[in-house]
Amino acid sequence: MEAPPVTVMPVTGGTINMMEYLLQGSVLDQSLESLLHRLRGLCDNMEPEAFVDHEMMFLLKGQQASPFVLKARRSIDKAGIPWHLRYLGQPEMGDKNRHALVRNCVDIATSDNLTEFLLEMGFRMDHEFVAKGHIFRKGIMKVVVCKIFRILIPGNTDNIEPLSLSYLVELSMVAPAGQDTVSDEMRSFAEQLKPLVHLEKIDPKRLT
Amino acid sequence: MADVMNVGVNLEAFSQAINAIQALRSSVTRVFDCLKDGMKNKRTLESREKAFIAEFQDNLHSVNRDLNELERLSHLVGKPSENHPLHNSGLLSLDPVQDKTPLYSQLLQAYKWSNKAASQQMVEEDVGTMGRRRRFRPEREVWRPEEPEPKSPAEGMDMAEMDTMIQLQYHAGLASGLLNQQSLKRSANQMGVSAKRRPKAQPTTLVLPPQYVDDVISRIDRMFPEMTIHLSRPNGSSAMLLVTLGKVLKVIVVMRSLFIDRTIVKGYNENIYTEDGKLDIWSKSNYQVFQKVTDHATTALLHYQLPQMPDVVVRSFMTWLRSYIRLFQAPCQRCGKFLQDGLPPTWRDFRTLEAFHDTCRQ
Amino acid sequence: MGVTCVSQIPVAEGKSVQQTVEMLTRKLELLGAEKQGTFCVDCETYHTATTTMGNPAQPGKLMYVMHSSEYPLSCFALFENGPCLITDTNFDVLMMKLKGFFQNAKANKIESRGTRYQFCDFLVKIGTVTMGPSARGISVEVEYCPCVVANDCWNLMMEFMQSFMGSHTPGIPSVFGSKHDSVYSPADTMIQYMELLNKIRKQQQVSSTGMR
Repeated sequence: MEAPPVTVMPVTGGTINMMEYLLQGSVLDQSLESLLHRLRGLCDNMEPEAFVDHEMMFLLKGQQASPFVLKARRSIDKAGIPWHLRYLGQPEMGDKNRHALVRNCVDIATSDNLTEFLLEMGFRMDHEFVAKGHIFRKGIMKVVVCKIFRILIPGNTDNIEPLSLSYLVELSMVAPAGQDTVSDEMRSFAEQLKPLVHLEKIDPKRLT
Repeated sequence: MADVMNVGVNLEAFSQAINAIQALRSSVTRVFDCLKDGMKNKRTLESREKAFIAEFQDNLHSVNRDLNELERLSHLVGKPSENHPLHNSGLLSLDPVQDKTPLYSQLLQAYKWSNKAASQQMVEEDVGTMGRRRRFRPEREVWRPEEPEPKSPAEGMDMAEMDTMIQLQYHAGLASGLLNQQSLKRSANQMGVSAKRRPKAQPTTLVLPPQYVDDVISRIDRMFPEMTIHLSRPNGSSAMLLVTLGKVLKVIVVMRSLFIDRTIVKGYNENIYTEDGKLDIWSKSNYQVFQKVTDHATTALLHYQLPQMPDVVVRSFMTWLRSYIRLFQAPCQRCGKFLQDGLPPTWRDFRTLEAFHDTCRQ
Repeated sequence: MGVTCVSQIPVAEGKSVQQTVEMLTRKLELLGAEKQGTFCVDCETYHTATTTMGNPAQPGKLMYVMHSSEYPLSCFALFENGPCLITDTNFDVLMMKLKGFFQNAKANKIESRGTRYQFCDFLVKIGTVTMGPSARGISVEVEYCPCVVANDCWNLMMEFMQSFMGSHTPGIPSVFGSKHDSVYSPADTMIQYMELLNKIRKQQQVSSTGMR
């Protein structure tokens, strides 16, 4: 019943920009077990978390040529966890030497009525999918091994079918802007996963 | 094996065995000393090694000898007697710190008292049924924890107090049966039968199987739609109930078999679990209104009592508790207002279940 | 969060905003309330830029982004008569990225700042509403912490409010009507604040202004 410790107005949104560093790859279903086994050894000493998430992509079309994209993600198997809203900016076209894909990133936790609110703001849902897999951690690096499922009936997450016969592997890290040494850490970790999986920087513009 | 003859033999062998242990200890120490000292200074390496090995072997042989001697003596000492006349309680008397934890002497006192009470009750039965009613007040000793109570696992009661409580309850049960009897019995047969039939050592209302307790609670759960009762046994055999009353409050009830021991009332939005995820049965509510309701609930526990039929007691307590569903909506029946010192009417009359402010009740 | 009622107290005749606030706080202290720190609630307005959604006929919607010192790590985003989203403070960073689509009407930023008082299980916050440099009115927030169902304790709260607000006791807030038996949430309090701050913004400026 006491006053919260902050008695002046809370600082509204820091101007610290967070950047996401990303490396992606894939493995066929048959090789999944050996990859999980190696990750269990390399990553931090804790049981890998299994997750089932439902992700929706929202677009806001405006006067600009490119629409504003937001990703809303919620957990299907765990109850009581807030929804996750994510904004990813354009990839930084800096050095060709930079080993990972670098994008500006804003992560926000929200309450359950996120979809309703985004629709009210003017966003429209572009597509949705279900991701099922495991998440590993090593320091601040995150490795996600998941299978993407297509949703057959919009809004119904029980009726799903896998998109492909492989698992998507993503190695990512969120760090404040200006710390480029982190991409070297990511590259050395990715080296340790060869030849099971080749993680590399995939430029989204080159995909169609 | 506990005759006088064997006791004598045992003691002899016992002291010899203790000596043998001391000898064994010293020979083992010698072995390690020899190892620590290493090789002694001699002319050649070979002679040094030989001397070391010889000494080491000697020491190991002496250890072996002492060990065999000890084994022989231990067989002679024999096992302690199996027919312990006092069973497990006799082991309490072996406590070395007798003055700090005088459990055994307290136990003996409680036992003597209970025997006296039982025999007195026998006398009453012989005499009292002839129309002369002996007044006997069963005082239920209420154990109240001092604030703040440490998180003791066994509800803070030691064995002697537990036994005293059990005997008191039994006594109370018998006395209430006595008081409820019709006093106009003249037949001697009735008296004679009860005098002959010795009452059982333990009252039956206390040794209830947990399944029975579960059944009673689930029946009460179904009685009221707005009240849900969840039973768990995280600390041994005593049940802990989590009663949720609508969206108004939550009550944690700690029971001992079917008797309610204590209660804590908290708000609907308050956290009732500790950091480990277990039910928190000690911390008080953050709100003054629920602290008051907790005090009233404890008073209610003292009011609703019937030693012979504990399930009726639990039912009446739950009925009384259910009247709190309108805790924030009902004005005081006496002054008509909602608030007194910032508190709503927190008192519920035990008979009529009407709402009163704590300061407005008669 | 307990059931909360947010309302406005008009400035007393011939007195300034600050003097009225002092009168109120003195009444509270006479009742026996204890001072317990300060609070601040602020509200920013965003409106949709023209010709979004490709429909020029549709009028721009107003979105309010509010913060409260009771929940320092949260941000509340709401539409009038629309949903209220509870997020963490990164939402402000997102709104900066959405500059092309939602414009911040900086002149419309309004806030209420003042002291918190605790009386038994009640929490009372009396704040001076300011827009820019000028004080525009007085907001009173009364929270009854133990109760979470709105309609249960309205009579109780009204009795308490009458003891220090007298004839200015408000009627039942409109958000209570739609709550029925559901648990009260902080979003409902922020909706009440939004309605109150909007009302104050539209009012005429108080005659003796500029005093804080």
